[in-house]
Amino acid sequence: MSEREVTLVTRDGAELRFPCAAKDNVLAASEAAGYFLPAMCHEGTCGLCHARVTEGKYTMGPHNSAALQGGEVLLCRCEPDENLTVALPYNQAQVLRYKVPVRQAVIESMEPAWQNAVALTLRLQPDPEQGQAVEFSPGQYMELTIPGTDIRRAYSLANLPNWEGRLDFLIRLAPHGQFSTFLREQAKVGDAITVRGPSGSFILDESSVRPRCFVGGGCGLAPILSMLRHLGEFQDSQPTHLIFGANRESELVPQSDVEAVTAALPQIGVTLAVSAPEENWQGFQGTAPAALDAFLSQTDEPIDIYACGPPKMLEAIEILLQQRNRDDRLIAERL
Amino acid sequence: MFCYQCEQTAHTDSGAGCATSKGVCGKDEATADLQDLLIHLLKGIGQYSTRLHAAGTPDAAADHFILFGLFTTLTNVNFNRARFVELIAEAARIRDRVRAAYEAANPGAPPLGGPAAFTPATDLAGLLKQASPASVRAGIELVGEDVIGLRSLVLYGLKGVAAYAHHADVLGQTSPEVGAGIAHALDLLASDPTDVPVLLNEALALGHLNFKVMGLLDAANTGTYGTPQPTNVKVTPVAGKAILVSGHDLKDLHAILEAVKGTDINVYTHGELLPAHSYPNLKAYPNLAGNYGTAWQNQQLEFAAFPGPIVMTSNCLIEPQPAYRNRIFTAGPVGWPGVRHIANGDYSQVVQAAQALPGFPETAPEKTILIGFGKDAVLGVAGKVIDAVKSGAVKHFFLIGGCDGAAPGRNYYTDFAEKAPQDTILLTLGCGKFRFNMEDHGTVAGLPRLLDVGQCNDSYSAIHIALALANAFECGVNDLPLSLIVSWFEQKAAAVLLTLLALGVRNVRLGPTLPAFLTPALVGVLVEKFGVLPITTAEADIAASLNRAAA
Repeated sequence: MSEREVTLVTRDGAELRFPCAAKDNVLAASEAAGYFLPAMCHEGTCGLCHARVTEGKYTMGPHNSAALQGGEVLLCRCEPDENLTVALPYNQAQVLRYKVPVRQAVIESMEPAWQNAVALTLRLQPDPEQGQAVEFSPGQYMELTIPGTDIRRAYSLANLPNWEGRLDFLIRLAPHGQFSTFLREQAKVGDAITVRGPSGSFILDESSVRPRCFVGGGCGLAPILSMLRHLGEFQDSQPTHLIFGANRESELVPQSDVEAVTAALPQIGVTLAVSAPEENWQGFQGTAPAALDAFLSQTDEPIDIYACGPPKMLEAIEILLQQRNRDDRLIAERL
Repeated sequence: MFCYQCEQTAHTDSGAGCATSKGVCGKDEATADLQDLLIHLLKGIGQYSTRLHAAGTPDAAADHFILFGLFTTLTNVNFNRARFVELIAEAARIRDRVRAAYEAANPGAPPLGGPAAFTPATDLAGLLKQASPASVRAGIELVGEDVIGLRSLVLYGLKGVAAYAHHADVLGQTSPEVGAGIAHALDLLASDPTDVPVLLNEALALGHLNFKVMGLLDAANTGTYGTPQPTNVKVTPVAGKAILVSGHDLKDLHAILEAVKGTDINVYTHGELLPAHSYPNLKAYPNLAGNYGTAWQNQQLEFAAFPGPIVMTSNCLIEPQPAYRNRIFTAGPVGWPGVRHIANGDYSQVVQAAQALPGFPETAPEKTILIGFGKDAVLGVAGKVIDAVKSGAVKHFFLIGGCDGAAPGRNYYTDFAEKAPQDTILLTLGCGKFRFNMEDHGTVAGLPRLLDVGQCNDSYSAIHIALALANAFECGVNDLPLSLIVSWFEQKAAAVLLTLLALGVRNVRLGPTLPAFLTPALVGVLVEKFGVLPITTAEADIAASLNRAAA
């Protein structure tokens, strides 16, 4: 049996059930299931996640026994050996449950971006219960529903969290895509759209001390722009490089967007990679993964690579990193 | 990384201290190492500064910077690596300036060594390579655990003194004596001292200095915002837009109250800002609506549930959860990577966020608690208090004060307050009070049984009350029917403990655990020389305290 079921029983009798994989701890499994229990160090030390196992066998990982009261466990170190029932020393109100918000928005503008893409801006409609704030981690996406249908499509946010209710997207118009068809043929300014989010784990690890390299292909630039804007807003000083790949020069990100990013992040290096350029092209000739390969040749230091683009681009990056066999870390999202 | 400055530090088979890639508090290895380097450079500034003070030509800006720099390294204050890279560069510039002043005044003097001569790298990777000699553990194989522990006691006490001095400084209360005392301690630490009596004396000197600093802080707070008055504070929410202000800084709270003037935004205090409601010049603001939540270690749940922006003005910050990361702001010495920081006192962004966020949908059934028993309020009824003791109506005072924390052992303080007999008065301060201050403790001899003196920053007020009572009863503080039950968590509490020891206050019950940096030999010194008592159980400690009083 590789997966166990954990049942948490709160002091006021609510039962929370979720699966827990072998060698996983109860706290991590609860968080994966959307239940956030009081916890702080996640390392078996602080004692905040103490609770009592009432049924089932478990193994405790390394922990500070002084943080335990008699007969209790620390959930961050408690690995179930079989199905487990745990009594929590607090009420269900103390358990945070993350529910993905669903909101109404209206189309504020639709502008052609570069080749075959649309820059779509939505505005959240006022809602007394949820307010007007747009809260997300740069890199995350929202799901947009085609009006009158149940069809949802996920698009990354390109702007920053804000209090004006503004959501910016960069959407590539696929020839037969359903949302693309809606945008091309039906959508107009003022239309209402249901948005669900934020979701997604393609987010910055701001605690890492490594240099960062962002690799974007096509509309994969949207979440990367959001991340770079965020780093610029916080005057991040980490060495940073951006690689943007396109087939032709006409498909490159507009120069004004590149300039806005370099103004906010003075240390950033930018490589524009074009695989089939015109004769006078002064930049890098080749794909985005080839540009990454060239970039890696210049440094021995392990780096964090944030990549978002078409599956082919990501596969090429994965193969490249396997061949290079360095200590780099890839954080990626497929379009 | 190695850090064992707070009460929750890791305890493993190989000993105490956070020595992995991340501390229990959430501080990562790079940030911890950069904090060590910043302190190393501050020692270098201290080496020159102490000489400039001796010559009567102190550099006041350097003194201010030392206070702020040390404050950023307290537990749960600043986790922002990039900020420390900047502070290290600034520290090096200031060190060069005080060096130039010293050398100009002393031509031909031999150059100072150690941190005074240290040149920090200019990038993060270079700095991290330089960190290991700046660690508190550096040289342990030569000098042993006791000396390292004592140096740590001096350094951590010094951090607490600096934090309190910074709080006073931002309100315009400072004195050259404070700058000189802090520089003296840094200069001593820069010399890698090994003499145990010298280190112990420095710790006590810091205790005395801290008493003066806390006097300045008391003058700063009461001088700016008036004398605290007994006040009923709403601890339930009111319908409407909302801002939550946490930490200790009254000036930041005041700036926020000014920023929301004329709006219908309600401002709530959190944790150690609860006592703000007792200051006349703050409670005069109609937007100051009440207190929300409890002590710092519960902030992840409380902040997630708060329907507006949150401002953290000083310690204690813990890792902001995704649920509220976009609506928490830091100010002053506080920082977290990727969290908005307000450096210029302009809170308009916070007001904008409050208006965009939903606020409380409805007013909850009202509940209030009584606070505001600073020294003036308590001593204003001193006659009543003294009569109550003389008549036997009040048998004993317990000061249950200090920090709160996450460890389960802190139930001791709840038990203590619940089980203390009805003919005793409970004085409290710090955020440890949230373990018992929402309960009704009743009255005795016409006085509320629970008297909330204020923040940990108001320890001066509590000591002042004790000294005044001793004066009235014509006895020493140790002869009063008073027991001190002190819970510590971070370095401000270490400074207050040194003050109590320096003033000769004995029989302080210290918990929930003793500092990890104190070796058994050092604990022995505290127990024998200063009468410090580790806690046992609430029942036993109450009984022992009352027996001592009766004896």
